[in-house]
Amino acid sequence: MELFRNTQFDFLGRKWWFILPSLLLMLAGLCSLLVNHGPRYSVDFLGGAVLDVGWEGTPPIERIRTAVSSRLPGVSVVAAHDLAGSNEVLISAEVRANDNLTALRQNLVEALSTVNTRYSVRSYEVVGPQIGADLRRQALLATGGASGGMLLYLACRFRLGYGVAAVSAMAHDALITVGLLSLLHQEISLTVVAALLTLIGYSMNDTIVVFDRVRENLRSGAREPLAETINRSINQTLSRTVLTSGLTLLTALSLLLFGGPVLHGFSLVLVIGIVVGTFSSIFVASPILLVWEQGLAKRGARHVALPEGGLR
Amino acid sequence: MNRMLIRRSLLILAIVVVCALVILHSPVRLGLDLRGGASLIAQVKVDGLLPQQQREIVEQTRQILERRINAYGLSESPVQLYGSRGDELLVQLPGVSDFSRIKDLLQSRAVLEWYSVAEGPFTSDGEVMARHGGVLPGNTRLLTTQPGADGRRAWYLLERPPIIRGTDLRDARVSTDARNQPVTTFMLRQDAAERFERYTQAHIGQRSAIVLDEEILSIPLIEDVIRDAGQIRGARSLQEAQDLAANLRAGALPAAIEVAQERIVEASLGADSIRHGLQAAAAGLAAVVSTMLVYYRGAGANAMLALVLNGVLLIAALACFGAVLTLPGIAGVVLTIGMAVDSNVLIFERIREELRTGKPAAAALTAGFSKAFATLVDTHVTTVVSCAFLFFFGTVAVQGFAVTLVIGLIMNLFTSVFVSRVAFDWEMTRRGPVEGLSIGLPQ
Repeated sequence: MELFRNTQFDFLGRKWWFILPSLLLMLAGLCSLLVNHGPRYSVDFLGGAVLDVGWEGTPPIERIRTAVSSRLPGVSVVAAHDLAGSNEVLISAEVRANDNLTALRQNLVEALSTVNTRYSVRSYEVVGPQIGADLRRQALLATGGASGGMLLYLACRFRLGYGVAAVSAMAHDALITVGLLSLLHQEISLTVVAALLTLIGYSMNDTIVVFDRVRENLRSGAREPLAETINRSINQTLSRTVLTSGLTLLTALSLLLFGGPVLHGFSLVLVIGIVVGTFSSIFVASPILLVWEQGLAKRGARHVALPEGGLR
Repeated sequence: MNRMLIRRSLLILAIVVVCALVILHSPVRLGLDLRGGASLIAQVKVDGLLPQQQREIVEQTRQILERRINAYGLSESPVQLYGSRGDELLVQLPGVSDFSRIKDLLQSRAVLEWYSVAEGPFTSDGEVMARHGGVLPGNTRLLTTQPGADGRRAWYLLERPPIIRGTDLRDARVSTDARNQPVTTFMLRQDAAERFERYTQAHIGQRSAIVLDEEILSIPLIEDVIRDAGQIRGARSLQEAQDLAANLRAGALPAAIEVAQERIVEASLGADSIRHGLQAAAAGLAAVVSTMLVYYRGAGANAMLALVLNGVLLIAALACFGAVLTLPGIAGVVLTIGMAVDSNVLIFERIREELRTGKPAAAALTAGFSKAFATLVDTHVTTVVSCAFLFFFGTVAVQGFAVTLVIGLIMNLFTSVFVSRVAFDWEMTRRGPVEGLSIGLPQ
């Protein structure tokens, strides 16, 4: 079976058809982030307490809410269902700077038992405000460092332009995903951060496959404009791109459908990320590479021929 | 050619056998989020001390907490330094059900002191102050007992310095007294025992005070000369007496600690996560396998062989390094599988391209593998570079992701390039060089 054979789509020529929706999506995400004062962080990052309670039968959400909020500040009570039809309630409460973390759980459980006793605590998590701030800083530091490291490696192995284009595409993916999460009212927890890292790795991988082909085609020394070469490279790798993305998307979808409530946020990010990441290597990374290298050529720098310091 | 192929196949077989043995011998340890259990981050109160002192105190605290956990009969899991400020400790307790008890056990400083009583009891600190004109006499301190049955406390004025401190203890055990009440018995070191003997000899008939964590536990009357053993009464239960003995054995904490984060996962939730994860993996794998077989025919089977082997190698490596598999680690596994599928697709597409240019099967195989290899090196190294940064700057969870991913990627280069190539070569020898490859192209 063959999906694509000798395709000759003009991806770069029609790039605006694709960049425009992507820009709109990014803008919507940014607006949502601005309106909501940044992403919705989970207790992992903000500090706070979350009690996950499994209920026998349908949980009386309203009664739980009134019972708990009369005792604790900043309480939210959310029902969570999965395909298996479990009845779980997530109860979260704020933690203030000088609160006694030990008493908090007692308080929550006591409030719950005034409703009825047909529940069991499935997990409990409480994070002091200080720890949360630390984690946020550390996550940003790690992501920034990783991006810088990849930029450096690509600049050495290919050229600076390739690195800039690939890292820009990666930032584009992360930004769109975080924006979408904000639009969908999804929280950013530690697990979601792991998913964001996965998506960054995936997007990078996808971009490098295309760029590798561009470099190879440039080495073979065909006399044609760079835009042609990039287009040809995207077409040559198209069946691989579609097949790999399709297969990975299948895996991510099965994780979203069967993975259960704990993995829900994780697999949602993965599904969004695979679609956006595939898209960005073709319609974001490649145009940026083209513009960067053309700009270099215009400024009288060396023509975009063979990359120095190549593989062999 | 054929002998080389057999040697390579035997190498692969040997690796598989070793991996299987490793997995059987030491199964992968599951993290708290999958297995159930509790973890807490304790902040050691070392504000206002010199950095050198802070480090020492945090390290002492770490060792003492570890001893307490061991004394409690729990896991071998070590207490780790956590975070960037250097004053936080991560305590992980897999499989624990009675968490609040352990938390009390860990949080109490267990500073034991034995004072002689100067004056008392008083009903309030105001009464003491009034008697001494608002200033405590030199070398004394004012402490209270736990509230009694009527909720009242008694105040005593104690003589400083204490006769015995926690550091003078050699051992502590639980026993029962004459009325069958649990008591904690402690034994003194040689030098302290001599000191205590001299003291009790000189003070028979006087009252003394046993103080734990700045609270008076009991006011025993010195009835006889005590040499090297003493008893602490007043435990409300056998469990409390046991915990006190465990803490006294492990030693007092050099500074107070405060819980900054705690996380409890019931075993049932962990089991649910594993079950869901396995279901999802099965569904995903089935979809991937069937697509690969339909699209690439015979070559699809090679890819599956590589993929399964990659999984086995990854699990064996995790077991071998004693790594703990957590939810973020599973994220790493998912990305590994994604990249493993991608490697195979990359190679197969390359082989197809070469076949389309009219090359014979053997030449197309060699060219396809070598050209795809260049791309694979770049994608893999880039990801490993990013993982290095994640490992050095990331939190514990992110580190788990990075470690799993790096191991998976190394295994993947081996399986998708080496193992898959051997599988293709077997196919070539079976079919002979004239026939084409089964890679889903029209022959």
